[in-house]
Amino acid sequence: MISLKIQNAEVFSISQIPFLEKKEFFDSLIKELDNGLRMIGFFPPDPALPQRLVAILSDSRTSFIHIIGGILDKREFESLSSRFPQVFNFECELFENYGFLPLNHPHLSPVRKENLNGNQPYAFYQIQSNEIHEVAVGPIHAGVIEPGHFRFQCHGEQVHHLEIRLGYQHRGIESLILKASPSKKILLSESIAGDTVIGHAYAHCQAVESLSETQISLRAQTIRSIAEELERTAMHISSLGGMSNDIGLAIASSSYGRLRTLVINSLAELCGSRYGRGLFVYGGVRFDFSKEILKTILSNLKTVFQDIAEIHKFLFSSVGSCVRFEKTGVVSKEKAEAMGLTGQAARSSGIGLDTRIQHPYGAYRYFPVLLNSLSSGDVFARAFLRTLEIEESMKFIFEQVDSLPEGRIKSEISSLPPDCAVVSMTEGFRGEIVHSAWTDKKGALMQYKIKDPSFNNWLGLSLAMEKTAISDFPLCNKSFDLSYAGHDL
Amino acid sequence: MILVLSPLFSGIVNKQKNFFTGRIGAPVLQPYYELFKLFKKETLHAKTASFISRITPLVHFTAILSAAAVLPVGFSAPLISFEGDIILFAYLLSLSRFFQILAAMDIGSSFEGMGASREASFAVFVEPIFFFTLGSIAFITGLTSISSIYDSIVLNNISYLVFIFVCSISFFILAVTECSRMPVDDPNTHLELTMIHEVMILDNSGFDLFLYHYSSSIKLFIFVILETSFFGSLGGGNRVLEIGIFILIVFFLSTALAFVETVTARFKMKNIPQYLLFATAIGVLNLLIFTFTQ
Repeated sequence: MISLKIQNAEVFSISQIPFLEKKEFFDSLIKELDNGLRMIGFFPPDPALPQRLVAILSDSRTSFIHIIGGILDKREFESLSSRFPQVFNFECELFENYGFLPLNHPHLSPVRKENLNGNQPYAFYQIQSNEIHEVAVGPIHAGVIEPGHFRFQCHGEQVHHLEIRLGYQHRGIESLILKASPSKKILLSESIAGDTVIGHAYAHCQAVESLSETQISLRAQTIRSIAEELERTAMHISSLGGMSNDIGLAIASSSYGRLRTLVINSLAELCGSRYGRGLFVYGGVRFDFSKEILKTILSNLKTVFQDIAEIHKFLFSSVGSCVRFEKTGVVSKEKAEAMGLTGQAARSSGIGLDTRIQHPYGAYRYFPVLLNSLSSGDVFARAFLRTLEIEESMKFIFEQVDSLPEGRIKSEISSLPPDCAVVSMTEGFRGEIVHSAWTDKKGALMQYKIKDPSFNNWLGLSLAMEKTAISDFPLCNKSFDLSYAGHDL
Repeated sequence: MILVLSPLFSGIVNKQKNFFTGRIGAPVLQPYYELFKLFKKETLHAKTASFISRITPLVHFTAILSAAAVLPVGFSAPLISFEGDIILFAYLLSLSRFFQILAAMDIGSSFEGMGASREASFAVFVEPIFFFTLGSIAFITGLTSISSIYDSIVLNNISYLVFIFVCSISFFILAVTECSRMPVDDPNTHLELTMIHEVMILDNSGFDLFLYHYSSSIKLFIFVILETSFFGSLGGGNRVLEIGIFILIVFFLSTALAFVETVTARFKMKNIPQYLLFATAIGVLNLLIFTFTQ
């Protein structure tokens, strides 16, 4: 096994990567995947030299990130998707962006584009039978939500297959970041997914800071982590509200809505934006906690902490909601592992995967959080896990606010070194966010890859819908609460 | 009176629902504004629709309106009344449903087909409830006209009072299902995959939609009246007292409806038949117990 082992946010020189011959490359890739590593990136580091590929794999047991390089003389290779379904989307992306042809791919489909090549309309997966009917939903939906197209193959009320087509929100963020000026880069990373502003800005700043070897003060790191936990709390509350709304439990949904407002308003106290835009700068944060701000935030959070326990109790002790939640949309642990699900969705299926714990970064290196996970893999697990994570996040915030380290909030950043790279991972509220930055000979960014947790988890939603009633789809969808924009980039 | 007052009832339920969730909510008269808005709008038809989709809104509306005519509103005599109009009433409602299902299939959208199949299968379970409540009273009294059935209800002995009360409970379940309210259907949902009734009118607009909305609020009000009328004899023939009781029970029902909609979750689609069979079972047991205790 020839691979480069690095840690989260550890800068390395591109020349350290062993670039292997095609056969050797795929052999070691298969070996690593067989050992239970998860793929988090598969792309050419230099778009000008597309025959050189790297595969980035994360090992949650050793906290190492493995990087394998390979040189392909032709842009085609034998597909691994049938053996390792988690590679499915990465191979499709490789085909779509760089023209690599994965041979014998089970269902080569566009990730973000309308069709594969040419003007041939895309052929949806279809079950041929007189009794199967097809239901198409979206991309324009009845509610104010993001666009996405869902194609169901149903037998009566039962769904046999769900195909999800995304890409309507594609803005080309990865290439925009390469071209943008430094101040705009942060703005771009903040708008990858509107509800994970902090998670993505954190991953981006961490990538750039690691590349330039900038030291961040502990105070700035703690403020970043507090902001991240505030975001996690707010978004989990809003997902729970959405799920209550989908089962028509008006009282819970409006109460969660009220509490979420209190949490995002706390974030606005700190940085002026309810979603945390403008908080992150290279080298630290732009805004510091004052006594008054801390007081308001603490009093807000105490209200939330007390009230939310009551609503959880109401929601999870109501027979009606338990009937809807339990055994609905089950994703087994084996399937979740095979598909490479991440974050909240993986933890609901009994996989203990949390970047804050396995690849600790920033303040989580010094103040670890507890890992929560449930094993049933149904809507109930995904809902109840959120309540546990909300509690854990709020405890973290209370502890950190109590003992906020002194120090500057911002340090100067130096220029980027040439021929270097970094893999920066953070844990957004949906799961693992991976930003990976690669510089060229002059020290300018030549490749910037982003992986939102939604990239893995949309396939989890398809899995969850198998043999589930079509009327439960909105509830399942909300229980994953995935981002369209984060997937489409 | 039904024509004027029925949207008001929907408005009251919505207001109370908002009150329970701590919001201000739309004005009580909002359903009137919405109906007026739809009335003014242009009607568009789907390209795939045949004449069935065009006539259905009118048929639907007329059927419901005629059904309303046999009802005793506020304990006063109905417009039309004859022997056997209970059957007419039940099948006028079925007629309206039948045409709505036809129209939904006619348009040819996959959602509407889904909604139609759901509506048709639940209708099978709904009909027995009706006949085991109102029908069982008819059976006991030997009368077959709705107004005379109601006139014959005299709540003077305990077993009869219990009988009527239990009837009113399964009737409430019937009303909730027929009018597609929670926990069977969610009138406020925007999710086309979970809707039952609402999904069938997705492709209607303007005047047609006005007719649908108007007739569904009339339908809700019809069931409220049927429910209220069980207790008409409590007024003891005094008009003022009767109307007082009428208003009180209507208000009580709207509160009950709003409360149920706030604190219960919607059922799983496959559990709805069980719920409806439960209401039928109540009706059957009720009838048996009453006959054996007499």
